[in-house]
Amino acid sequence: MSIILECNSLTKAFGKKRALSDISLNIEKGKIIGLLGPNGSGKTTFIKLLNGLLTPTSGEIRVSGIQPGIETKKIISYLPEKTYLNDWMRVHQIIELFCDFYEDFKPEKAYDMLKRLNINSNDRLKTMSKGTKEKVQLILVMSREAELYLLDEPIGGVDPAARDYILETIINNYSANSSIIISTHLISDIEKVLDHVIFIKDGQLVLTSSVDEIREENGKSVDGLFKEVFKC
Amino acid sequence: MLKKLLKYEVQATSRIILPLYAALISLAIVNRVISSIPILTWHAPQIISMIIYNMILIGMFIMTFVMMIQRFYKNLLSDEGYLMFTLPIKSWMHIASKLLISMMWMVTSGIVALISIFIIAFDIIITKEFLHASVVFIGDFFRYFGPLSGLFIFEILLVGVVGLASMVLMIYASIAIGHLFNRHKILASVGSYIVLTTISQILFIIMAVISSYLPTPRHLSIANDLHGVEPIIHYVLWFVIIFSGILTSGYFILTNYILSKRLNLE
Amino acid sequence: MSWNFKSDRPIYIQLIDQIEMMIFSGIYPPGSRLPSVRDMAQEAAVNPNTMQRALSKLEEDGLIITHRTSGRSITEDENMIKKAKTRLAQEQLSEFLANMQHLGFDRKEILSIISNMLEEMKI
Repeated sequence: MSIILECNSLTKAFGKKRALSDISLNIEKGKIIGLLGPNGSGKTTFIKLLNGLLTPTSGEIRVSGIQPGIETKKIISYLPEKTYLNDWMRVHQIIELFCDFYEDFKPEKAYDMLKRLNINSNDRLKTMSKGTKEKVQLILVMSREAELYLLDEPIGGVDPAARDYILETIINNYSANSSIIISTHLISDIEKVLDHVIFIKDGQLVLTSSVDEIREENGKSVDGLFKEVFKC
Repeated sequence: MLKKLLKYEVQATSRIILPLYAALISLAIVNRVISSIPILTWHAPQIISMIIYNMILIGMFIMTFVMMIQRFYKNLLSDEGYLMFTLPIKSWMHIASKLLISMMWMVTSGIVALISIFIIAFDIIITKEFLHASVVFIGDFFRYFGPLSGLFIFEILLVGVVGLASMVLMIYASIAIGHLFNRHKILASVGSYIVLTTISQILFIIMAVISSYLPTPRHLSIANDLHGVEPIIHYVLWFVIIFSGILTSGYFILTNYILSKRLNLE
Repeated sequence: MSWNFKSDRPIYIQLIDQIEMMIFSGIYPPGSRLPSVRDMAQEAAVNPNTMQRALSKLEEDGLIITHRTSGRSITEDENMIKKAKTRLAQEQLSEFLANMQHLGFDRKEILSIISNMLEEMKI
């Protein structure tokens, strides 16, 4: 039962505004966690802190016991909400880039998934539709054998078929040695894939629980509970 | 790791700048060819091709400069930054890779421009005279400056390199400072550029005044003869090199601090 | 094989139910090999840990056997399957009969309704 992520009183403030207040939690290896909350609740800020894209105002983060830095970036695979790839590159070039900088990247896996989705590795990214670009990004992220995967709204603007493929890929990639954090507001689609959920509201931790517990104790799905907790 | 970054930087930039180099050289050749065809009355093609050549020449320099800014801003501080800053690489390497490649292209653009001018203006007789005169000049130069002339050349090159780095890093620092603001980032960048330039000029004047009170160069009289001036030139050059070096390091450290501790990508 | 999940009960319990149904109805015949946890999880689009939990419970109940080297398979003990099937039927019936009582039907009426339904459904 080892811990992949530990947060102690994590706080991030931008000037006077507190994006995250006093977040403390532990995440074990081999779990798929849902980071759930309305837009602006602090989910993306939290993920950026884990990534080292933001520095905490106070509090501590430890990924596999290490504070965010070069060593954690080696073991974290991050899928941001936006397309972050260089538009002019061809798919195989970006795969080469990932191979160059990430030791745990498996190009065979990437090429395999690309083939299954009928994406030509010689195409330039700028010629692709937004949906295809997002799939390429997902493939790149999931082709790494990381210890922690951070997926920010992976099924956001995607069509239902692609959504199923993404969930399938997530399940397929599951390993007892790694954990996946999925940040989303589309809960009903991914609920069945989650072990635990974390509810965040206004930068504060509202609830952490396993999906089973929520259903047993509340007699409703996580989606249902979410709607209750976050009623406007 | 730095090598790999350099490789990608070259990959990203050469696809923009190399076609311009090719166009410039081609236009130079075209100009050359046209001007050697003796059509006495109809000057139009020659004028047009010269205009186009000049446009490409200016465009090439502008592009080299714009590319330097764009690579830093777009690749590190816009959406692509999400990729760059999650790579397991220290932020100083990102700055260094962009700095080195930008400097490389600036020097290369200068060389390509000279080559294109040479192509246009190439004339065997003039070139022979020029080469002959150069050899004489170099001989005289080494005789004047004696054994330290190699050092002198090295110092001049160093001034150029450090000066170039200083300019690029000051721009990077300005962009980084602009990034700290939530709104009006471009305005803030321009503003900080002005501030940094002003600060560096003030510092330069202060340092120059202070160093004029240092004992060593003072007792050397400035004679008309080049020999008497020689040590002063070395001191002046080293002063500029060290001063620029300190400023350059300052800009680098500032930029690195902002990118590693104050990064806030949208 | 489509997996349908309701929102009010834990998923692993629903998985247990659905896999039991597949065993009872012969989709997974006695002695047959089961796909890996990951494959089953993928097919059902659920978390592998959840699928694992369901399979472990079924193993506890004796319906599934884990072989050290060759994965999981359905038990060959047809009696056990029959017993579990019967138990499920009894559970459903007791709920049904309780409802019928609640509605005020007596034994004879219940039997005749059942008889008519069996004819209609051609069972």
